[in-house]
Amino acid sequence: MVADVAVEGDKIAAATISGDFFLEPETALADMVDGLVGAPADASEAELAERMDRHLPPGAALIGFSTASVATAVRRAIDENTPRELA
Amino acid sequence: MTDARFPPEMLERWLEHDWQLLRDAPTPPMLHMAIDEVLTLEVAARRRKPTLRVWEWSSNAVILGRFQSVRNEVDMEGARKHDVTVTRRITGGGAMFVEPANTITYSLYAPESLVRGLSFVDSYAFLDAWVVAGLRALGVDAFYQPINDLSSAGGKIGGAAQTRRSGAVLHHVTMAYDMNPAKMLEVLRIGREKLSDKGSVSANRRVTPLSQQTQMPREAIVDSLVETFDDRYGLTSSKLTPAEQAAAERLRRDKFESDEWLYLLP
Repeated sequence: MVADVAVEGDKIAAATISGDFFLEPETALADMVDGLVGAPADASEAELAERMDRHLPPGAALIGFSTASVATAVRRAIDENTPRELA
Repeated sequence: MTDARFPPEMLERWLEHDWQLLRDAPTPPMLHMAIDEVLTLEVAARRRKPTLRVWEWSSNAVILGRFQSVRNEVDMEGARKHDVTVTRRITGGGAMFVEPANTITYSLYAPESLVRGLSFVDSYAFLDAWVVAGLRALGVDAFYQPINDLSSAGGKIGGAAQTRRSGAVLHHVTMAYDMNPAKMLEVLRIGREKLSDKGSVSANRRVTPLSQQTQMPREAIVDSLVETFDDRYGLTSSKLTPAEQAAAERLRRDKFESDEWLYLLP
C-alpha cells in the first residue's frame, strides 16, 4: 500500500491511497480519503484511522487491510518523506 | 470430490443453478474488462443465469487492480516496447501481466446467495474449490492459499480477485500456463525480490507455471478444468447475447478506454 500525502500549513490537504488491496464498495476509497483531508498533519495513527472509520459507509468491507494500516502508511508518508506541497 | 472445508449443503448450492458456459474467441483486453462488468450486472438483474466464462486474450496486457497506481506498477516504456495494452479492472488485487499463449483466465458470475454466510476470505476458496480439484486431477498438487492465491507444492499457480455488485459476485482468476520473467520485469515495476502473483507477482512466492507442472498443452488443461466444473455442477453452452455484446462495446468505449478510468489512480 502506498500513501501519497500533501500537507498545506498544518493540515492534510490531499491524499492518495493505492495498492493491491480489496475494498467494497469501490467508492469507499474516496470516502477514506475524505476522512483524511483536513486532518491535522500531526494527528496520531489512531486519530487518522478514526477519521477514516467515520467516513466509511455502513457495510464497507476492507479485505486484507484496515484503516489502521492505511493510517500507518499516511503517518509514514508525512514523517519520512518531505510532504509534497500543493502547487 | 468434496472439500472438507465446506459442508455438503454449501457445496449443493452450486447445483441450484443452471450454469452457463461462455468460451470466448480471442478478445481485446479492454473489452474483457467491459464484458466482466456487464455480465456481473446481468446476473445481478437475473437476465442471465450464473455463468462460467473462459477467456481468450487477443493481445498482451497489463491489468491493474482497481486501487493500484499506474506509475507505481507499470513501466509504460516497457509496455510500449512489448506491445502491451495497459488497462484497469473493476476488482482489487495486484497487477497481472498476460500474454495470450501463457495465460488461463476465467470468470464466475453468480448471485451472492451462492456465498451467503461466508466471509470474503472464505468465499475465494469456496468459489475455486472446483479448480483446485480439477488441477489435482491433472496431477498438480494444488491448494488454496488465502486470501486469493492458487498455489501448489511446486509454487504459486495464479490468483483470484472479486467484487460484488447489486447482489452478484464477480470472481475471476488468472493462472500462469507459461511465463517470461525477463519481459515481465520490463513491463511491471516489481521489486526483484518479488516474483509473480495473479499471473504476475507477489512477495516471496515462486511461480511455477502449469506447463512445467503438467507437460500438457494449454488448451487441454482448459478443456479438462471445464470438464471438472461440468462434472461437479453441470454446464450448458451459452453465447453473449447481442444486447450483452452491445452493452460491453459501449462500456469499453465510454469507460475502459478512457484515460479517466486508467488514470483513476495515476
